[in-house]
Amino acid sequence: MSASPLLDLWEASASQPFQPTIGKNTQFTVGFVLLFTALVFSGLFGLNNSLKNVAIYGLPASLAFGFGAVYMICAVGVYV
Amino acid sequence: MRLDRWALMGLIQLSWADSNLTERSRDILPSTFKPPQHFRNVNLVRKINLEKSYPRETINVVIENIDAAPQSEYYLPFEQGTLGRVGGLVVKDKKDPDNIGFHAEIVEIDPYGATEYYKITLPTALPSKQQQTLSLTYWTLAALSPVPFQIGQQDKQYIRYPFSAYAPSAYTTLKQKTKLKLPSTDVPDATSLPKELNADGKADPEKQGTSYTYGPYNEVPAGAVQEVSVRYEFTHPLTHGSLLERDISVSHWGNNLATEERHWLTNRAAVLKNHFSRVTYAQSAYYNPPTSALKEMRFPLTVGSVDAYFVDDIGNVSTSRFRSNLREANLELRPRYPLFGGWNYKFQVGWNGDLKNFVRRVKGTGETYVLKAPFFEGPKQIEGVEYERIVTRVILPEGAT
Repeated sequence: MSASPLLDLWEASASQPFQPTIGKNTQFTVGFVLLFTALVFSGLFGLNNSLKNVAIYGLPASLAFGFGAVYMICAVGVYV
Repeated sequence: MRLDRWALMGLIQLSWADSNLTERSRDILPSTFKPPQHFRNVNLVRKINLEKSYPRETINVVIENIDAAPQSEYYLPFEQGTLGRVGGLVVKDKKDPDNIGFHAEIVEIDPYGATEYYKITLPTALPSKQQQTLSLTYWTLAALSPVPFQIGQQDKQYIRYPFSAYAPSAYTTLKQKTKLKLPSTDVPDATSLPKELNADGKADPEKQGTSYTYGPYNEVPAGAVQEVSVRYEFTHPLTHGSLLERDISVSHWGNNLATEERHWLTNRAAVLKNHFSRVTYAQSAYYNPPTSALKEMRFPLTVGSVDAYFVDDIGNVSTSRFRSNLREANLELRPRYPLFGGWNYKFQVGWNGDLKNFVRRVKGTGETYVLKAPFFEGPKQIEGVEYERIVTRVILPEGAT
């Protein structure tokens, strides 16, 4: 019998340490690529503001900028 | 909706802060309360360890149930005001360390009563006429006072510790002894007691190197007090943390566990008689004599910690060193100025660590995680550090429930 059930839970999960898809070493690369993509796509979207281009350039640019910003912030040491 | 939630969170935090201050688990009893005399102490040995900057007392006592019925509630008395400064209390069965399940609880009588008690509930009730050996250990904060209160910058510091030669007890004690463990043999004052009190007919205290013994004494009634005090050399800082705030932020996206500690330190050592002399201080840096000033601190961090920083209100403090390798991670820092008696220092330190050392996914569940992080780390000093109040906050990722 252990003193605390939480500690038992910790020991039982020994084989499953937390492992995210993007590790600390790749955060900068991922962040940079996404931000660069966002820059290019928003530039292309700016050249031709049509409804069709919202789906082709606008949406991917927004998504890339959102995730890219999070990873870039993490990469520079502000872990959010 | 969103605002409501924030308000709710604010309220929850407020009520937590309140419960910390008032300790709701106290039983309030009338001032006429006397612990029922169900036990007697057959033999009691108390050890007072004064080698650190806070006294640690260990009471090893053989208790006997003198009541007809099995009893399980043992009371440990403290003088008014002392109980609030007890930093920790450990109760063990001396003969059987595997016997766990002791429960200690503060019982408050009334705010003006002379004595307060810890109620210790034994895991199993002790049958009538049976004996059990308890080991009670507790630390008291802010219990040591320097005498004289003012010393020169390079003088030795002497500490006075008043206590009772009879161990505090709510029960009749048949035989008892108090042993002191002092940090050095330089003891200018120790109250002597006449030999009539002693069971062996010797005058107290009995000295042997750095340990002093009061007793043995024969039967002493409950609550008996024999004031004595000892004054000994202790040229070390009495570091007192009035507040330690600690944040542990978990970042799943960043794969990082960030720890930040904000310390408010005071040195309770003897204050300086004259002005601080920088020349004397600079000279003493070469031969490094023992001093009552707090000059450096060493933080042993979790192995694998990175990016340590040490800042205070002014900004970064460059007199720190972070040594990190596969086996250890040590943050060694010197405060912006040496902390002499009565001086304060507020600073913050922080570091990062890989999340895989602290968070694991719980087996058999989808998105449940378990976090294991130190409650507090803080500096590890030879002479010890005491904390009055520690607030540890765990900041979970956005969306965690």
